[in-house]
Amino acid sequence: MIGDRILGILMLLLAVVYGWEASLFPEPFGGVEAVGPETFPLLLAVILGFSSVYLIVKPDPDQEWPGMKTLLDLGFVLVLLLIFAALLAPLGFVISTTLMVAVLCWRMGAKPIPAGLTGLGSAVSIYLLFNFLLELHLPAGILKLT
Amino acid sequence: METLNFLLHGFSVALMPEHLMFAAIGALLGTLIGALPGLGPANGVAILIPLAFSLGLSPAASMILLTSVYAGAMYGGRISSILLNIPGDEPAMMTTLDGYPMAMQGKAAEALAISAIASFIGSLLATIGLIILAPILARFALHFGPAEYFALFSLAFATLGGVTGKNQVKTVVAAALGLMISTVGVDISTGNQRYTYNILELYEGVDFIIAIVGLFAVSELLFFIERHISEGAGSATLNKLNLKLSDILHVLPTSLRGSVLGFVAGVLPGAGASLGSFLSYSLEKRIVGKSGHFGQGDPRGVAAPEAGNNAAANGALVPMLTLGVPGSGTTAVLLAMLISLNVQPGPMLFTQNAELVWGVIAALLVGNIMLLILNIPMVGLFVKLLSIPPKYLMPVVTLIAAVGIYSISNSALDLYFMVGFGLLGYLLRKLEVPLVPVILGMLLGPEMERSLRHALTISDGDWSILFSSGLSIGIWVVAFAGLALPYILGPILRRRMENARARMEIEEEAD
Repeated sequence: MIGDRILGILMLLLAVVYGWEASLFPEPFGGVEAVGPETFPLLLAVILGFSSVYLIVKPDPDQEWPGMKTLLDLGFVLVLLLIFAALLAPLGFVISTTLMVAVLCWRMGAKPIPAGLTGLGSAVSIYLLFNFLLELHLPAGILKLT
Repeated sequence: METLNFLLHGFSVALMPEHLMFAAIGALLGTLIGALPGLGPANGVAILIPLAFSLGLSPAASMILLTSVYAGAMYGGRISSILLNIPGDEPAMMTTLDGYPMAMQGKAAEALAISAIASFIGSLLATIGLIILAPILARFALHFGPAEYFALFSLAFATLGGVTGKNQVKTVVAAALGLMISTVGVDISTGNQRYTYNILELYEGVDFIIAIVGLFAVSELLFFIERHISEGAGSATLNKLNLKLSDILHVLPTSLRGSVLGFVAGVLPGAGASLGSFLSYSLEKRIVGKSGHFGQGDPRGVAAPEAGNNAAANGALVPMLTLGVPGSGTTAVLLAMLISLNVQPGPMLFTQNAELVWGVIAALLVGNIMLLILNIPMVGLFVKLLSIPPKYLMPVVTLIAAVGIYSISNSALDLYFMVGFGLLGYLLRKLEVPLVPVILGMLLGPEMERSLRHALTISDGDWSILFSSGLSIGIWVVAFAGLALPYILGPILRRRMENARARMEIEEEAD
């Protein structure tokens, strides 16, 4: 109930803001025609608006949401992936991938040593596969020899 | 005759050594993807798209690779259904009904072999159906004007939830979200900036490949973590195969019937592979139910749904190739590949890219034979894969998804977007908002807007042009029926599917 209502309210807001912005689009170069860049967005805003009102009025029963601990776990994984993205170029593929995969395996319940080995193994094999077989260059980072 | 010529030409494309290799790799990867838990066909194909893209494969090679993966995933889904009573993907659900009892009786190898043969027959007949039907439909679709196309795109969204769809309004919300994302960027026909907020990266719009991988692969990882699924589903042992010709002949009529029904279900909008396998199974039970022991390990109960879902999977390619309107998640992902290769889908595909289309069709036939060969002797290997625990598998899958995205443009920004879409996908799935309409919206948005504009320009702004021809009215009627029918038929069909499974479980407990 609550979930769908929140979704409905957010979508209604989105529809209003999206539609309002569309109505402010500057007049295209060459004059106004029967259809402009705002026509399709306005149509979408109307459709989304009506559907979100329906969701607010007639919400479905909620699915069970995970507890605080699991939510923290999920947040941790998302942050981990973002850190991986940020470190990929400066640290290099092998190091950042080993860390990312190992930590992820560990968070999913693997013991530290097998988790580390999975990380190292997948990092090295994908690096070799990409750089030598597929000739797509992944960043070497601080492991670069030259 | 003309078709035959095109097909022969297609074979000359498909049989090139390079393309044979991609078909074999695709078939192998596809079976793996189908067999591994938590990697559905749409997800698997999505992860491979960026790789095919950054490897710079030709359109024909990429499509052959991905359609083989698609076909292979349909074969792979049955393995865990039969051995572990866990469907590898949704369409394989009906296979558990008789497949698992067969495995319990020590006939796992026979069940796997029969299902492989039924899958082969299903795919083969459906590909032949595709060869006959697709050119006719493509020629017919040439009569479509912009108004008809606009109606057709709406039809695609309306029927996407399928007849078993739960909440159609959520399908509409998802479609609107996807279409909205597609409007971000510089407007093609006027050059106006829309929703870019002067951010340079948004000028070209949001890359749907990144969105697809994020929505599918990253959200799947989050679901595994939420449910604390870390151990493998357990190992299974295989007996020695003891299959006689008479056993194959015994299931042949079933496979043929299942294939035809599955193909029809696949071509029709809103039906899809799950319904294809369900219908085939129910029909078979009704026809030969009395003489068999359905639900207790009847080989025909394995053959029917497998023939049905493989035929439906190939049937679903018909609207995707001829109209550019996919009817399922996986065909939507295949369409994404075509669009990102700058191949314009739609009826002109058959005339302008005849080599590509017929090459892919011929490759489906070749790939299907490869899959049969791969799946009978090598099934032991796939069985071993079932016991890989997700705690190692999912991180590596996530890594492959991330590497694929990164390899497109070597930008960390794309990876941030992927993670963002992963979070969005997780939240939407928790709220039971389907993801496929979001993706389809991003894919079809530009084309849909173009046809709306084109139609309204012709009529000088008169919206009634959208309902002016008999053809477009017909399409709108089907579209509205597609939106409304699930409210009537959905509860009945869903109850039947659940009943079939519930009955199974009760019987099992009684044993």
